[in-house]
Amino acid sequence: MTHVKEQTGTSITLTGIAASGGIGGGRAWVLPTSSTTVKPEKISHDDAKKELAKLDAAVKHVISEFDHLKSISKDDEVNQILDTQIQVLYDPQLLEDIHIKISKQLFGAEYAIFESFNKYIELLDESGVDWAKERMIDIVSIRDQLIKTIKNNGEELLIAENSVIFAHDVSPTEIIQLSRQNISGLVMQKGGLTSHAVILAQSLNIPCVISADWTMHDPEDFTMVLMDGDSGEIILNPSNDEKSLFDKRKTEQEEIRAETMIWAAKPDQTNCGSSFTIQANIEFLNELPRLKTHGAKGVGLLRTETILFQSKNFDVDNQIEFYRSVMDAADNKTVTIRLFDAGGDKLLDDYEAEANPFLGWRGIRMLLDKPDLLDQQLEAILRVSGDYPGKLKILVPMVSRLEEIDEIKQAIHRVERLLEIKNITFDKSIPLGIMIEVPSIALMAEHAAEKVDFFSIGTNDLTQYTLAVDRGNEHISKLYEPLSPAVWKLIAMTKSGADKAGIPVAVCGEMASRPELAACFLGMGITELSMTTNSIPGVKAILCNSSKSELKNLAEIILSINETHLINLHLKEWMQSKG
Amino acid sequence: MLTKKVAILNESGLHARPSSELVKLASKFKSDFFIEMYGYRINGKSILGIMTLAAEHGAEMELIVEGPDEEDAMREISQLIENKFVTE
Repeated sequence: MTHVKEQTGTSITLTGIAASGGIGGGRAWVLPTSSTTVKPEKISHDDAKKELAKLDAAVKHVISEFDHLKSISKDDEVNQILDTQIQVLYDPQLLEDIHIKISKQLFGAEYAIFESFNKYIELLDESGVDWAKERMIDIVSIRDQLIKTIKNNGEELLIAENSVIFAHDVSPTEIIQLSRQNISGLVMQKGGLTSHAVILAQSLNIPCVISADWTMHDPEDFTMVLMDGDSGEIILNPSNDEKSLFDKRKTEQEEIRAETMIWAAKPDQTNCGSSFTIQANIEFLNELPRLKTHGAKGVGLLRTETILFQSKNFDVDNQIEFYRSVMDAADNKTVTIRLFDAGGDKLLDDYEAEANPFLGWRGIRMLLDKPDLLDQQLEAILRVSGDYPGKLKILVPMVSRLEEIDEIKQAIHRVERLLEIKNITFDKSIPLGIMIEVPSIALMAEHAAEKVDFFSIGTNDLTQYTLAVDRGNEHISKLYEPLSPAVWKLIAMTKSGADKAGIPVAVCGEMASRPELAACFLGMGITELSMTTNSIPGVKAILCNSSKSELKNLAEIILSINETHLINLHLKEWMQSKG
Repeated sequence: MLTKKVAILNESGLHARPSSELVKLASKFKSDFFIEMYGYRINGKSILGIMTLAAEHGAEMELIVEGPDEEDAMREISQLIENKFVTE
């Protein structure tokens, strides 16, 4: 394709970090950087009244804008940010400061606003606290909006619809305003994946690429730019081929998204009416809205260690708050809370690096050595369970010996007795399950099943422990092969052990999120699967379009194959047969 | 005039959301409300004032309330802080 080369000569490709999915395309629009400077302009005593009136009008105008934004926003996160912005505009101390600068010190309204805000902005900047710096961007943007309103007599800058915005950094408020102007994408030079701006871009469905160094070009020089929020690519002045490639991607994404909506809402049932349950793996609070949109029936794996690392003092009350938010979002479906699955490195000050951290002091091994931490978590879970009886389950990570099950049960009894003394209600028959991720416990599944209420198979660790392959070691990463017949054998052994005791088995590892593997699990009779929310619709699309006997057949064939590459081949063929 | 010493109990400190809750509550009362911390006094109805305190978990501060409804104000404000800014 020689003609492509000729045309790419004129196009420029930049790469950033994909932050919010979707394709954006259109004219480029560069958001002016907030380097507003205002000169100290003196006014006469008689003009003070006029300047105060200007201030008043500008404040009212910006408040009405925020009120309008609030009225069209349905997102809690967005509304919370807007509420704080509105409070700033009503701030009695700030307004008094500005008034004094106008009526006593006789400065023009613009400078009075600029100086009064700057005092607080500097204090926030100097505070050295992360959240304060994030809020600073917002406060700078309110200051600039007020000044701009006075300068332009209240007229808002108009951005052509469907343009791609290029910015240095964007405040959450600016994102909300931009979204109202129907922008087609956002490219930021700065930004972090967990920044407020990115979370908002995601919840407002604005394709976004961050950490993209675009400033050596002037994007406005080009008639057309394209950006892909899933790959992080940005193309200035794209060739016709690049345009049609992005068009194709866009159509595909839209099709997938449309399909998502269809399957998310369908019942969890094969085409012959046999039921299964798909739940979500959840780690962060901002993932919770996707439970509903992506069709998850509750949470099959709630990871708690990330929350633990994010705060030094993760006490019972803070945990309760977190678990409650999850329970509320789960909408009366079950939630399986996995106890802290952490190693010593992230918890203890006196931690010494382990030679083999994956074979080391982690999961249940660490929890049993730290009864304070364990009891706090169990207390928080049990207290919440009182309000959601039958909806909460406890999952224990990294169990490798039967004795550990007895020990964790003792710990639960200890905490339960404590709560009984305090007269606190809790779910007395809260189900206790263990992760099957260490081969030694998979081999003992039959006996472990007699001691617990359910199993949850963690395929990632089970694979690396079974194959003796460290996933992170690049020399041997090719050997990390979850489809290995040895792994399948252990999964089958786990299932038959559970069947003997009559307890349910779930799969919550990455394997469950691949439709063809989910199909095998269902064929093996494992009807509970838990995966990242984004994978749910794709998995459901395959499962809902298959019959129980077809899946059973597939599982039987896979379990009978002795070589990984043949398993791969067969699964590939099966997927092709599904279209 | 009423004064009371309190400590910030919630893990993440007096960040944007708790500051916002505090201002929302304080503004309901007629009484003046000030917070003194590190010998620095701010208007407790000022969101910017409170945010610039950047009070972290464990920080101690003095609440000062003065006005016709000072008793109700002090009770509800200290309750909000003790409840770690969880409303309802």
